[in-house]
Amino acid sequence: MLPTFTYVKPTTLEHAVRELATPGARACSGGTDLLGCLRDRVLKADKLVSLNGLAELRGISELPNGGLRIGALSTLSEIASHTLITTRYHALSAAAGAAASPQLRNQGTIGGNLCQRPRCWYYRGDFPCARKGGDTCFAKEGENQLHAIFGGDVCVMVHPSDTAPALTALDASVRLVGPRGSRTVALDAFFVLPSKDYTRETVVEPDELVADIVLPPPPAAALSTYRKLRSRGAWDFALTGAAVALGMHGKKVERARIVLSGVAPVPWRVELAERELVGHELSEALIERVAQRASEHASPLSANAYKVALVRGAVAEALSELRAKG
Amino acid sequence: MREPNIYGSDTLDAELAPQFAPATSDLPPWGKTTVVGAAVPRIDGHDRVGGTAIYTRDIALPGMLHCAIVHSPHAHAMVKRIDTTAAKAMPGVHAIITCDSPEAKIPWILTNQGAFSQLLDPHCRYEGEEVAAIAAETPLQAADAARMIVVEYDVLPMVVNYEVATKPDAPKLHAVGNQPSPARTSQRGDVEAAFAKADAVVERTFHTSCEMHVPLEVHGSVAQWDSGKLEVWDSTQGVYAVRDSLALALKLPLSSVRVSSHFMGGGFGGKLELGKYTVFAAVLARMTGRAVKCVLTREDTLRSVGNRPANTISIKAAARKDGTLLALDATLLGASGAYPTGATSSYMLLDLYTCANVRAVESSVLINAGQARAFRAPGYPQAAWALEQVMDELAGKLGMDPVEFRLKNIPVVSQLRSGQPYTSTGLADCLRDGAEKFGWAAARKRPANKGHVKRGIGIAAGMWGSPGGPTATVILKLYADGSANVNSGAADIGTGTKTIFAQVVAEELGVPVERVSVENADTGTTQYAPSSGGSQTVLVTTPAVRSAAADVKTPLLALAAEELKIDVDKLTIRDGNIEIAGDTKKVPFSALRSLAQRQQLVGVGRRAPHPVGKVGLPFAAHFAEVEVNTRTGEVRVVRYVAAQDSGRVMNALTFENQVLGGVTMGIGFGLTEQRVLDRQTGKLASGSWHDYKIPTAMDFPVDFQCVPIDLQDKECNSVGAKGLGEPATIPAAAAIANAVCNAIGARIYDAPITPASIVNALASKGGK
Repeated sequence: MLPTFTYVKPTTLEHAVRELATPGARACSGGTDLLGCLRDRVLKADKLVSLNGLAELRGISELPNGGLRIGALSTLSEIASHTLITTRYHALSAAAGAAASPQLRNQGTIGGNLCQRPRCWYYRGDFPCARKGGDTCFAKEGENQLHAIFGGDVCVMVHPSDTAPALTALDASVRLVGPRGSRTVALDAFFVLPSKDYTRETVVEPDELVADIVLPPPPAAALSTYRKLRSRGAWDFALTGAAVALGMHGKKVERARIVLSGVAPVPWRVELAERELVGHELSEALIERVAQRASEHASPLSANAYKVALVRGAVAEALSELRAKG
Repeated sequence: MREPNIYGSDTLDAELAPQFAPATSDLPPWGKTTVVGAAVPRIDGHDRVGGTAIYTRDIALPGMLHCAIVHSPHAHAMVKRIDTTAAKAMPGVHAIITCDSPEAKIPWILTNQGAFSQLLDPHCRYEGEEVAAIAAETPLQAADAARMIVVEYDVLPMVVNYEVATKPDAPKLHAVGNQPSPARTSQRGDVEAAFAKADAVVERTFHTSCEMHVPLEVHGSVAQWDSGKLEVWDSTQGVYAVRDSLALALKLPLSSVRVSSHFMGGGFGGKLELGKYTVFAAVLARMTGRAVKCVLTREDTLRSVGNRPANTISIKAAARKDGTLLALDATLLGASGAYPTGATSSYMLLDLYTCANVRAVESSVLINAGQARAFRAPGYPQAAWALEQVMDELAGKLGMDPVEFRLKNIPVVSQLRSGQPYTSTGLADCLRDGAEKFGWAAARKRPANKGHVKRGIGIAAGMWGSPGGPTATVILKLYADGSANVNSGAADIGTGTKTIFAQVVAEELGVPVERVSVENADTGTTQYAPSSGGSQTVLVTTPAVRSAAADVKTPLLALAAEELKIDVDKLTIRDGNIEIAGDTKKVPFSALRSLAQRQQLVGVGRRAPHPVGKVGLPFAAHFAEVEVNTRTGEVRVVRYVAAQDSGRVMNALTFENQVLGGVTMGIGFGLTEQRVLDRQTGKLASGSWHDYKIPTAMDFPVDFQCVPIDLQDKECNSVGAKGLGEPATIPAAAAIANAVCNAIGARIYDAPITPASIVNALASKGGK
């Protein structure tokens, strides 16, 4: 059952930011994650500030420079099917379409998807874990088959978003609005590793909100995709996923981004693997080599070493798909 | 207090005990039927999908209070102190019971195994065990007050790994130890001597995971007292079973307890027993003089209302070169949870195939987790997982087609029943017809594909070992307008029972299905039927429906003969009319003035006992084709054929529906579902539907075919139907496991098969 809270629905960004600055306030758009967290008492809120009255956070439009602006309130369904995204930023539409279930994609927003809380069963369950103010990470010595093989520290959760690795691979940035005005943060710098601060997942301050997401114009001959591996056919978070964005020059890879989901507390960029790609033709042998590179330097826990193989698999599948397209 | 569990071995004991069923003579078997067997849509389908069906949670009585439950957050703890002062002062609170209250002393788990407990027990043996219950004006007030109850615990050492729990130094749940019952051995022949003569031997150990029932409708009850009598609305598979246990718990005569469950939204075996929530509602209602509703949360149901227990099964099997199965030697260990219950079934190991030398040693062990309950074919999918994979390996060693190997060992008698013949046995038909529909022979010859996505095919067989019953009574009323009402205590748990009852009446009397109403699952107003579990509802209760319809025919014909002044021998009943021999005139029931004067005719039907010296049991053979991505560990079931011998098909739609649901459940058991308990605390990690993964529509094969064998069984009972619900799920996971092995050339012994198990199996195969 939901605890008691007050509810406001501002119609201007300025008003929304002011409401968010009051103690105990939380932003709410689709609510698919927040309401569950409140019901399960993972999070507390005295006031919910609905963002759904903010027309300026809606819409998907092309920018003068050829890039794209996606309002934070755009639903995952809208993103999965928007022509400008399916044709020019395929990794993003594929990732949005692979998230959750149709009902949740109709309700959940891209802003919320980036700011969602960990899905670690200890964090969501009745366990006083470090991220919730306790003094231990239960997963380290416990049931860690779904947990991180990269970037773990005080906490070994994996970031649950599918769209975040895709946006990172596409060099997107996020515009945040708060009482001190607005600032733009590259997706690469948006998420926070536990070694830096294990109590937060993003750089968003409590009184800030995600206004929109900006994608740069796609490079010439751009290819991108997102391959998600999961335990069942739908409504499941990634065991491992690979977002790959390539800029091609003829047959050769000119620019490469590979960002993994489901394996680290943040979307995990594998630059070693990216470097292996640049300047070469996409051959089967190269794909195998890059997949291998992407899985190197992992630190598996007692029950998740299989994810190292899954990283190889996801990267190889994504690159093979792009090779077939290109 | 507990129902006898319906694990295979127990039902066999019950079946073989002397029966005191009335020796009624039975009706001759049907020949060709017109309504029975047809694809008749569910008579309550619109109510169920349109939202007009009234489920337990929908019941709202004047002045009704709502109950919230306080649970132990620890896997093993002793309550030191409970303080309800703050909770009592909360708005809307009417009554609180805790393990200190006199009402809490009702003995709960009563077994002969020395493990006792009470309704609210200070000794909490699993996370989620109940320590207090509150009744308040609204559900929110009750939940708020429950959080204000302060409980201090002494946390005790716990054990949730069932293999560890068997060790002498493991923490003990009860004074009698973790294995209060000795191991049970079933054997025939000489296993050791047979192994010495064998041409091929396979020995393997398998593990299966604990599964949850997760029916769509959560467990819950509403209770109200009326002049010292208790009325209960419950989401249950067996109103009579709940009535009996409730009467025992509250020391009431059976006549003072009424339990009803007209619409219910699934149980899968998890709703065969009286729940504590029902007793909380009854006790709090008595204390407050108000009706009380107690509905569990989804999270409660994941901890405290049963599961399919994890099993470890080791099998050593032997065969001769010609494909004769020589010996099966098995040990089975199951996790009972916090209170004793048989957590394994060796039935299929002992009786699915002809085998002269068998031995099965079964034991169960207590762990600090919710108690196991019957779950759609209790113990059988676990046994099939092990047995059918071993059969596959043996066939491989012999160089035989796995279908041929099984066909070579088909029994025509029940070896467990001292060689009683089957009234019908369709196992060979399931294997042959299924293989043909699947294109098994051609698929076996297909060359392996070259890419990293491998295709494989697999087969597994199964049977269900209980003929159900024995008894049920049905009342049928024929009204003056020719419409009819069937009255039976059977619950329709989503299988289509009510629809099939109406079809049987339509078949016998010729009254259209839409003019038959069904009144069911109410101990106050409907007649005794066994619980809807053990795949027995159709085969136990529909013969009584048929008998009741026949019982109306005699007085109806007598009335017609008197009114029409025609000799009764010249009259017959067909299609809702009285027909006269040698006359084309037909008299509809509604035209009979004598029937109109009486308003109704009442027929009483009882089920005849099982045939003596024979037994009718259902069989199945499932064929699966899978695609395994060897890069990513993903497994997709792409094609599936389920051949089922359940005797007569009573309704073509509900039959296929049952099989589809059974296969879906098997996909969950084989590929996705797994209860995960945290090894450090014993608490549930997979505590939501995100982390406890039931299959979705996307996990079901697009190419699915249900193949009903539709055997004519003239002896098993007067409708010729055998059970279906359970045999439809038993072989599914094993068929998928065999297909996975066929695809990747490595066998996976532990369920579920996940991407992790695929990549691990491939890695160890590569390493060899």
